[in-house]
Amino acid sequence: MKVSMQLEERTFLKRIDLNFVLVIFALNLVGLINLYSATHGVHSVGLSRLFLAQIFWLVIGWGLFFLLTIGEYHFFSRFAYVFYGLNLVALVVVMYKGSTYYGAQRWIDFGIFRFQPSETMKIALILVLAKIIAPKSRPNGLELKDLILPGIFTLIPFGLVVKQPDLGTAMLLAAISVTMIMFVGVKKKILIWAVVSTTIAVPLVYNFGLKEYQKDRIKTFVDPGKDPRGSGYNSIQSRIAVGSGQILGKGFRKGTQSQLEFLPERHTDFIFSVLSEEHGFVGSITTVSLFITLFLLAIRNASQARDKFGCLMVVGIIAFMFWHFFINVGMVIGVMPIVGVPLPLLSYGGSSMLATMSALGLISAVHFRKFLF
Amino acid sequence: MSNHLTSSEEQTKEYADRFRLLYGTLAATALLFSAGLWYLQIQSGEEYRSFSEKNRIKETEIPAPRGLLYDRDGKILVENLPGFEAVISPQYTEDLLATSKAVAEALQMDAESIKIKVDKSRRQNGPFFPVRIKENLTRDEVFRLKRLRLNHPGLDIREAILRSYPLGEDGAQLFGYVGEISKNQLPIFNTKYKGKLKFKQGDIIGKAGLEEVLEPDLRGHAGVSFLQVDAKGREAVTQTSNIYGEIFKDQDAIPGNNIVLTLDKDVQQAAYDSFKANNRIGALVALKANGEVLAWLSSPSYDPKEFAAGIAPDVWSRLINDPYRPLRNKVIQDHAAPGSTFKPIIALAALQENVVTPTTVIYCPGAIKFGRRMYHDHLKGGHGRVTIIDAIERSSNVFFYRMGIGLGIEHMSAYAKAVGIGSKTNIELNQEVSGLMPSAEWKKENIGEPWQPGENLSTAIGQGFVAVTPIQMALAYLTIGLEGKRFKPFVIKKILSHDNQRVLKEVEPVLLDDLTQPKAGRPQVDISTFQSVKQGLWRVANGVSGTARWWKIPGVEMAGKTGTSQVMSFSADQIYEECTKKPIQQRHHGWYIGMAPAANPEIVVAILAEHACHGSTGGAPIARDVIKAYMQKYHPEMLKNVEKSKLAHAQPSATENPDSQSRAE
Repeated sequence: MKVSMQLEERTFLKRIDLNFVLVIFALNLVGLINLYSATHGVHSVGLSRLFLAQIFWLVIGWGLFFLLTIGEYHFFSRFAYVFYGLNLVALVVVMYKGSTYYGAQRWIDFGIFRFQPSETMKIALILVLAKIIAPKSRPNGLELKDLILPGIFTLIPFGLVVKQPDLGTAMLLAAISVTMIMFVGVKKKILIWAVVSTTIAVPLVYNFGLKEYQKDRIKTFVDPGKDPRGSGYNSIQSRIAVGSGQILGKGFRKGTQSQLEFLPERHTDFIFSVLSEEHGFVGSITTVSLFITLFLLAIRNASQARDKFGCLMVVGIIAFMFWHFFINVGMVIGVMPIVGVPLPLLSYGGSSMLATMSALGLISAVHFRKFLF
Repeated sequence: MSNHLTSSEEQTKEYADRFRLLYGTLAATALLFSAGLWYLQIQSGEEYRSFSEKNRIKETEIPAPRGLLYDRDGKILVENLPGFEAVISPQYTEDLLATSKAVAEALQMDAESIKIKVDKSRRQNGPFFPVRIKENLTRDEVFRLKRLRLNHPGLDIREAILRSYPLGEDGAQLFGYVGEISKNQLPIFNTKYKGKLKFKQGDIIGKAGLEEVLEPDLRGHAGVSFLQVDAKGREAVTQTSNIYGEIFKDQDAIPGNNIVLTLDKDVQQAAYDSFKANNRIGALVALKANGEVLAWLSSPSYDPKEFAAGIAPDVWSRLINDPYRPLRNKVIQDHAAPGSTFKPIIALAALQENVVTPTTVIYCPGAIKFGRRMYHDHLKGGHGRVTIIDAIERSSNVFFYRMGIGLGIEHMSAYAKAVGIGSKTNIELNQEVSGLMPSAEWKKENIGEPWQPGENLSTAIGQGFVAVTPIQMALAYLTIGLEGKRFKPFVIKKILSHDNQRVLKEVEPVLLDDLTQPKAGRPQVDISTFQSVKQGLWRVANGVSGTARWWKIPGVEMAGKTGTSQVMSFSADQIYEECTKKPIQQRHHGWYIGMAPAANPEIVVAILAEHACHGSTGGAPIARDVIKAYMQKYHPEMLKNVEKSKLAHAQPSATENPDSQSRAE
């Protein structure tokens, strides 16, 4: 008994991707230090409630991470449709009974915390798509009929999230789906057809499908002068924050832009500006590097997966994290439009933290099982 | 899964080249972000740093002046005056408590409430949003605050535009008032005017009357000016490079559209003066024959200026607790039993349905018995043998009891509805009530009891369930006066651009109906029927027994009808009790609706004289004054011709006291 347990322990440490865990841990640390600064203004006394909540979610997140790591991830292949179905139900519930914040219905209020089903929907979609696409994937790419089911499974939650309205999350769902399909590959003919139809569809959707505020944001990105006091103002303030950090930054809790509340949403969507302002180019590049390392390790895990489902699931999760990272940091440094998308591991938010840690747990699980049959 | 047994190499071999694509994307992203960060933090870092430390942009809103309201001749009814207001910008305050205390002392306010207000706004609207502390500052206050500004960063004096109402309380309910948008209204307004107007905390909006209805026109578009200021909110002295570039370019405010009303300031003034002189409360509306509102009064009233400068809590509580309801627009919001003013409408029905002819003579004693009840006339001895025209002149109850019995509720209801009783006139104002014209079905549905034959009698003299608004009565009488033509009432005549150069909208009179023409769902009325009723109305003002014969205008013949609306039900004995001996709030309302010239009316005036006991003394003299003012302005020739020959014949003599006679309504 004792021997077997020791063996079990040793193999556990050997089988787990320690580098991956360490990088996540490092990002957590950066996240907490930075969130502390963002949530503790000049006059704040004691620890902020948001900061404590984030620590709480982080602990639960790590619990989920390890639980999923040692679990058999094919369990998720088997129950992919169930997770997906439950998530759809939750999205519909949000539509009718959800709480409204900032003008959108995105949350289900459970009293102690507000659950945001669109976050977990990303994972459910990844699982379902991996399950559907894996057996169909061939060296010369997917055929048109192979794309019907993935298309339907993407469009349903996409539509529901657009209704909330949360264009950012909806676009992310689509981006995850497209990334996974493109990764597996499609016939050239379909690719050309897709490019052509998108070129036609985009102006149509822009003119008839988008709400005024959504159009405004895109317009503001293209021409910030159009709305100097709205999104353009945020964009400018964010750029000033980042730029004024210079090489070494203004120092922990010394960022004037963030401490004086020039930055909107500085603990969520604009968390990276706080970091850049206070820790400068060095801090920003370090954080970007940590993220890149995280993705490199994840890609390696995908390439070593023992089956297509595992591989595609990891690719989907990479897409999920990467697009969040790309859009958020891109927005903060002014190369992307202002879209309300959190930065994984750094932004404040329970649902986001749990979804992120679970997703990372699944990547870790693929590594954990890579040599098992 | 069949794939389970194959090795991982084989399974994912086909993806090998795709991983290169992923690595490539990552590399490109790393490069892009590094370049972006390098550009912002190292290349332009110094510039941004100096900007973030030394300078900020302070954004000041330039409020758009609201549009003006003119009367039909272009005379100002509602305008704007320049003023000053005190604001605190939370973002720049160093010690809010000290600033609040200092400001409170200078403005004689409560320091604690200032601090709470600023803190609350800071939470709700963010630190950039300047919080309005006091509007309409006096010169002394401006001077005191200016001295404080040096030691209290964040405190500011802004130029403001103050809404001004030269007419004061006259017509206040029609014009309405403005005030700061409330937290609840904010989302409502932004949804209502989506895509057209944007509202934000602190905006001044129309809250009642025309100010409210015309909000989208009157509002205009606020401008904005951007100042470079230092970290304490003071204007920057040194010019640093402008990082904001073109983004922060000043925008001028565009004032709201100006509105020309149908109102006539002179007629309005005459109405107001007459109400004051007679010490009346109630409502008055005067319409031109095409439906244009000439005068509009609701009394008691309030000074809308009190709202413009932020209403004081004690003034507000006094207004809402006033038993005579000064905030109500009684012309459209109050409905009362029409009393005897309903009789001409019943006369239309009775003549048209051949219950009587204009020459039928009916004996009218002091009371008649119907069922098990006695139905009384206000004249104990009755009116003797009278025709329907006499009955209108003297306002005989018994005659109209008989008409009620003869017509039945369905006919009465059909004719009353045909002249607009019981439905909204849809004038361009909010909160209009529809009043009520009962029918047997209505009673069954809403009260759950069948219609009683006895109710035909009370309905015929305008009591019971019937309820009308003053504007409905004005229109119903106009329809009689114009022999069947029904116009839609309106008060907005033209919408002009802010510089008065362009007419954006011009409203034409709308003929809703002509009762002499056949139309499904309503009875058709002959011109001769209207003429008979008009004769009765002429006699009210001119006949030897007319209930309003004491108030004449030499040279202009008027027509009209008096009425009394019972505030509470009384038994027959109490009806005869002297109304003026009761407590004011238990006294009956008087009605008077007058038109002139009687044969072809140009103006109709409806007056609900609340708690005035009688329509003749309570309403008729005011109607006379209003019509006189109108005639003096538009037909001075009519008045001049008679002025020399007849003099002051209009006042009741001592023996002919209208008070004692006017019970006969």
